[in-house]
Amino acid sequence: MVFSDKMRDAAYYHYSPSYEYSLGIELVDEKQAMKNHANFRYTYLLNRKNTQNSQRNLYFQSSLSAGGNDEYSYGFLGDWETRRYFIGFGAQELKSNLRDYEKQFVQIGFAPYLGDYGDLHSWLMIKSKHDSRTDKWNTYPTIKFFKGDYLLEFGVDENDEPDIHFMIRF
Amino acid sequence: MRYLLFSILIFPSLALAEKNIHGDHADHNAQHGHEGHVAMDYVGGTSSELDVPRFDEFVSDQKGNQIAVVSVSGMVCDFCARGIEKTFQKDAGFKKIDVDLDTGKVLIAYAPSTEIINEEIEKKILSNGQTVTDIQILTAQ
Repeated sequence: MVFSDKMRDAAYYHYSPSYEYSLGIELVDEKQAMKNHANFRYTYLLNRKNTQNSQRNLYFQSSLSAGGNDEYSYGFLGDWETRRYFIGFGAQELKSNLRDYEKQFVQIGFAPYLGDYGDLHSWLMIKSKHDSRTDKWNTYPTIKFFKGDYLLEFGVDENDEPDIHFMIRF
Repeated sequence: MRYLLFSILIFPSLALAEKNIHGDHADHNAQHGHEGHVAMDYVGGTSSELDVPRFDEFVSDQKGNQIAVVSVSGMVCDFCARGIEKTFQKDAGFKKIDVDLDTGKVLIAYAPSTEIINEEIEKKILSNGQTVTDIQILTAQ
């Protein structure tokens, strides 16, 4: 997965030995601090409920930075989705010798049409992010496309900064 | 600026939506008409539908092979369901697979000489994070 916003560019590669957890490495370019470092990430599925028409997930997520300053983070991610609607949220505590801060987000979306398996799928979404360093909520529309093994999510936040996620499933 | 970009991006999506809505009407009679769905009542009391034209197309080149019609819950996303296809494709015992997000059905073809047990199919689906609720084994004619 490749991610880019005002604060950072990141490329994340992860391996999931089972659907219950994944191990990954994230290469991060902190734009404002002008430094590069790697994060080792661990994600664990705490709860999943499958129904005929929906899936609900709750994940624990943590990371440990190799960039010094004893940086680490932990938090939760959750989502509920049907083929038509999506609701997601996340909360993360980030700790280091330099500064502790928190990040949260919520996201809702809907699919304007229901494509068949293999079609181009599109989601129209609203995302709201909060960073305790600025203590502001930043709310903006995003659009998500996926087809086959490729997923692209794109948005531009209130500061006209792009928020981009690109994911490939191997 | 972000609204301008969003408008540019949203256009193809809405165009596809319109195409799909019209397509639904056109396809409804051709492929997804009521005669094309067969209600399947299961022992557990649950009921779902099999898209018969889709099934017929799937088995058209599978004469003599066994077909597992697997009902799967939690299969709501194309990107997530990709893992199911990849898991079965890794196993040479399975000849062909089809995922139907609309009905929550996965069709799996395998040679009659291959020893496939339901538990193996359930395990492969579960390894991708979805849950099997029913398996029907048919033979393609």
